[in-house]
Order: sequence, then structure tokens, then C-alpha cells
Amino acid sequence: MRLQFVVTEVLQGLRRNVSMVISVVLVTFVSLTFVGSAALLQTQVDKLKDDWYDLVEVSVFLCPNGSTAPTCAAGEATEEQIDALRTVIDTELADVVAQTYLETKADAFAAFSERYPDGYQGTQLTEDDMQASFRLKLVDPEQYQVVADVLTGREGVEVVEDQRAIFQPLFLALNRASLLAAGLAGVMLLAAVLLITTTIRLSAMSRRRETGIMRLVGASNLFVQLPFLLEGAIAAVVGAVLAVGGLWLGVKYFVTDWLQQSVNWVAYVTVGDVLLVAPLLIGIAVALAVVSSVVTLNRYTRV
Amino acid sequence: MIRFENVEKVYARGARPALDGVTVDVARGEFVFLVGASGSGKSTFLRLVLREERPTAGRVYVAGRDLSTISSWKVPSLRRSIGVVFQDFRLLPNKTVYENVAFALQVIGRPRHVIKTTVPEVLEMVGLDGKEKRRPHELSGGEQQRVAIARAFVNRPQILLADEPTGNLDPTTSLGIMRLLDRINRTGTTVVMATHDDEIVNEMRKRVVELKTGTVVRDEAVGSYGERESILPTIGGTPVLDAPGRNQPAIRVTPEPADLEAERAAEEAAERAAAEHAGPLVPVPAEPPVRTRRAAAAARRYPADDVVQQVLAENSRARAGREG
Repeated sequence: MRLQFVVTEVLQGLRRNVSMVISVVLVTFVSLTFVGSAALLQTQVDKLKDDWYDLVEVSVFLCPNGSTAPTCAAGEATEEQIDALRTVIDTELADVVAQTYLETKADAFAAFSERYPDGYQGTQLTEDDMQASFRLKLVDPEQYQVVADVLTGREGVEVVEDQRAIFQPLFLALNRASLLAAGLAGVMLLAAVLLITTTIRLSAMSRRRETGIMRLVGASNLFVQLPFLLEGAIAAVVGAVLAVGGLWLGVKYFVTDWLQQSVNWVAYVTVGDVLLVAPLLIGIAVALAVVSSVVTLNRYTRV
Repeated sequence: MIRFENVEKVYARGARPALDGVTVDVARGEFVFLVGASGSGKSTFLRLVLREERPTAGRVYVAGRDLSTISSWKVPSLRRSIGVVFQDFRLLPNKTVYENVAFALQVIGRPRHVIKTTVPEVLEMVGLDGKEKRRPHELSGGEQQRVAIARAFVNRPQILLADEPTGNLDPTTSLGIMRLLDRINRTGTTVVMATHDDEIVNEMRKRVVELKTGTVVRDEAVGSYGERESILPTIGGTPVLDAPGRNQPAIRVTPEPADLEAERAAEEAAERAAAEHAGPLVPVPAEPPVRTRRAAAAARRYPADDVVQQVLAENSRARAGREG
């Protein structure tokens, strides 16, 4: 009885102000699409980091001959300095560094020769032109700063370089894009909240007679408010479902079917990620609707 | 059933209190008229009983509950034990008679089979048997008020509040409504009725509580309306203007046939119930509710139409007497 009654009331309410309900659906759709895009961009950034950070290392370049760095005043790094550095890495940085590898000048030259068998831009280089370095693989690539702090300025160290720096511009761009999406999402969500509030208020106003009688004959607060609450929630959830659908299509046709085909060495977000984001979007929609309706209803249909 | 202890109600800070030190005790099963000019606090009294308002000071007890301390989630259960009828009926225009009455049960979660049995029962009691499918706008004022009463009574409340239930009705139709309220009162329901209708009050010979600017100035066990001029001082000899609804041009000397029919049907339902002694609605085979014993005897003898005609005649005689 109760359920049937509530369902009838909800359907009536939805039918009564169709245009408002549609606008709620659209606004939640757009705002949650932005929220979803921001989430997917972050997922993309994480994926790239996962993929690429496994490949990157921190290079601790040792002093070559004729370096102008203050720590290299004594000339090329000596065996003792290298041993001292190794000790420091093994003790002070034991938690941070997963693997240490000393690339000597000979190793560097071998790698160089392999890469450029015909010489680099027309000059033939010798082993002495190479620079020895420690290659450190970090447990967590984000902890570069710790390594840099410990090793920079030590005798025999010319410079500490993080290969991640290469990716920084890309990540910066992606992060900014997701921030922008999140910002737009925020504005749209605000609009959605206001619109849901207005819709529910209108709905409550147009059914003031009913709710008045309900209060008088002793219907519980929840029973009076539930139809309105459900109305808002249904509209918002429909919007969220549309947003999920939109993102799914976007990822499917734009990323999987197009980007993946043209630039295929990058790990992209997949439709699976969209499905992971979906509960979040629907959750946000329900939360929005419930919060804004409870606030409104407490003002307009209080027992 | 209802007890007011030194109740004071001030709506706006600094304003004259709507109720000022009101102490009234209404026993179970009593029928009380609340009279007084507009603004004397009648409606505030009823709103306090419903806990639509809280008293500024003093205590209100309704059906054993102290309304000054009752928590807000218990208010619905309080209101389920109170039925309310208004001057403007407050029916839902897009629902039929049956749906309007059933609505009151649906929204408090009564199961369907209960609704299916109780609603026709109460509609028969108020004399609207066979008009279940009508919508409010297809009914006369009297019939609409009967629907409202059916809705208020369908959950068998302990208390029935009526805020000028006859304010929009002509005298004969009002009489029918009063009989109905009286019949409900006889089932053991406490009835509190705010009214401006002196004829009704004088005829019913029930307890009368008169309010004046928020204080009780009179409380008689078997009272009359009192002098109109003192109750409605500013209006003087034309009290009609003061009674909201009375000023509507719809005042008819001849009641609508539908009202008479409804009255007859209600009467028959009551008699049937009395005859069968099965009447849960009318336990006491009661003397006719209104009028003098002589008129009551007449009502027994004649069919309802004749009674109405007789009542009409008496009404006009009474009015002529007062105005002359």
C-alpha cells in the first residue's frame, strides 16, 4: 500500500513539472560529465605514472674533468668519493632506493656507441668524454626530492637529475585539465543543487494542499517528504546515468577507437575505468538530491 | 481529553497575546462550542490542540500527552487521534469522494483491506453512499463538508475539531452537518467546535466556552450563544459581516436537493445502524440530536423532507422574532 502510494505520488509529481525535471536531468548530466572527466583524467595521469615511473631512474652524475660545479673543484670524482657516496646511498637512503647501479665512463661509452654507432652529430667522442653516474631506482619515484636533498652538494657529485622531469610538462597539462574540469564541475554542481532545490520547492508548493492534509491526518514526516525526495533523486540519477553513458561513449569512440589506434604506445583509460567512476557519479547525484531536498523540505513541509 | 493550563500564546514579540491564561478542561466524549469574535483566540485554541503551534507559556494536554514536551516525531501519532474539519472543507479537487477519504488512511499507511471496508462504511454514515465517484466540484457545499467530516472521522479519532464547519453553509444544511457531528459525538468522540452560528449553539444546548481577546469569559455546561452584541461588539447589529463565509452570496433559503438527500441518507444509515444494534458508529439509539423534544418527536414521525421543511419554518420564525 505504502509503496504503491509513494510510487503513484512520485510519478504524478514528475509528470506535473516535466520541464523542471528535464532541466534537473540535463544540469546533473552536464555537471557529472565534468566530474567524470576530471576523474578519468586523473585516472589517466595515474596510469601514465604507473607505466612510466617504472622506467625512470634518478641519475647522480659524478664530477667529470673540468666541471665548474663547486663540489667538483677537486677534479674528477675519485674512487674514495664514489665509495663514500655508495655508503651514503646504502645507509641513509636504504629505505628510498630500491636498486643502485654505477654506470662507469666505460659503460656510458658502450651505451652511447650502441645508440649512435656513427658518432653524435658528426663528432667522434671518446670514453673520456663520458660521465660516470649512479643510476638509482627508487622504491617510490615520487621521493626524488629526498634523494636530491641527501646527495646534492656532496663531494664528487656534480648534479642529481630526475628523469621524471621529462614527463612533468605532460602531467602538468593533464593535471590542469582535470582541475579545469573539476572547477567547471563545481560550478555546474552548484547550479544543479539550486535547480533541484527550486524544482522540489515548486513541487512542494503545487502539492501544498495534499501535504497540508497529510500533516493534519498524522502522516509521518518521512512519508510526507519521501515522494519529493524520490523525485529529486530520480531526476538526478537519470542525469548521472546519462553522464556515465556520455563518458562511456566518449572513451569508447575517442580514446579506445581513435587515440589508441593512432598513438598506441601509451596506456589509456578504458571503458572499464568509466564503469569504476560510475558509482561515484551516481553517489554524488543521490547525495546532491537528498541534501538539497532535505534542506528545502524542512523549510516547506515541516510537520 | 483536552486540558489547557494557564495557556498563553503570543505570535509576535510584543503583540497582544492570542491566548492569555486560558484554563479549560474538556472531558472525554464532551461536545464543546467555542464562541467569540474573530481574533478572540478560537483558531489558536484549535491549533494548539493540533500542536501546529506551541504555547508560549502554560501546558496543553491532549489525549494524555503533554504537548509542551512532546517530541516532534510523535506529533503524527498525536494527530492520528484527532480529526479536523474546516470551514473551507479542504478537499483535494482532483480526487473523487472515495479517494479523498481513502487518502487520509493511505498516508498513514493503513493496509488496503482496511481502507476498502472503512471508507464505504464512513461514507454511508455521512450519507454519501453512492456518490463515491463524484469529485468535490460536483457536490454541494453540504455534501463537501460531509466528505470532509468523513475524512476526519474515518480513522476513528478520539477528538474531532471543527473550525466553523457551517460557516459556508445555509442554515438547513448546517443543521444536517450538526446532526452528523452530534452523531459522531455520541460514538464517544470528543467534539470541539469553533463557531459564529448562534442558532446552532442555542439549539444544541451543549457546553459553551466563550473567548474574548484571548481569555475565557464564560464557560457554561449547557450554554447558549449569548448576546451577539456583546460577543461581536464592533459589528453591532449586523453580525453576519463578521462571520467569514456568511458574507458569501451563496446563502440560500432553500437548501440544495442534494444536501437534503445526503441528510436523509445519513439519517437512514444511522437508523439502520441503531436498529441492527450492530452499529459501531452509533452505539446508542439516540434521540435526534438537535432541536427540542417536540421537534425531535416530529422528526421521528415525518420523513426527512418534512422535517427539513419544518426546521426551515422554525428557522425563519426564529429569525423574524430576533429581528423584529
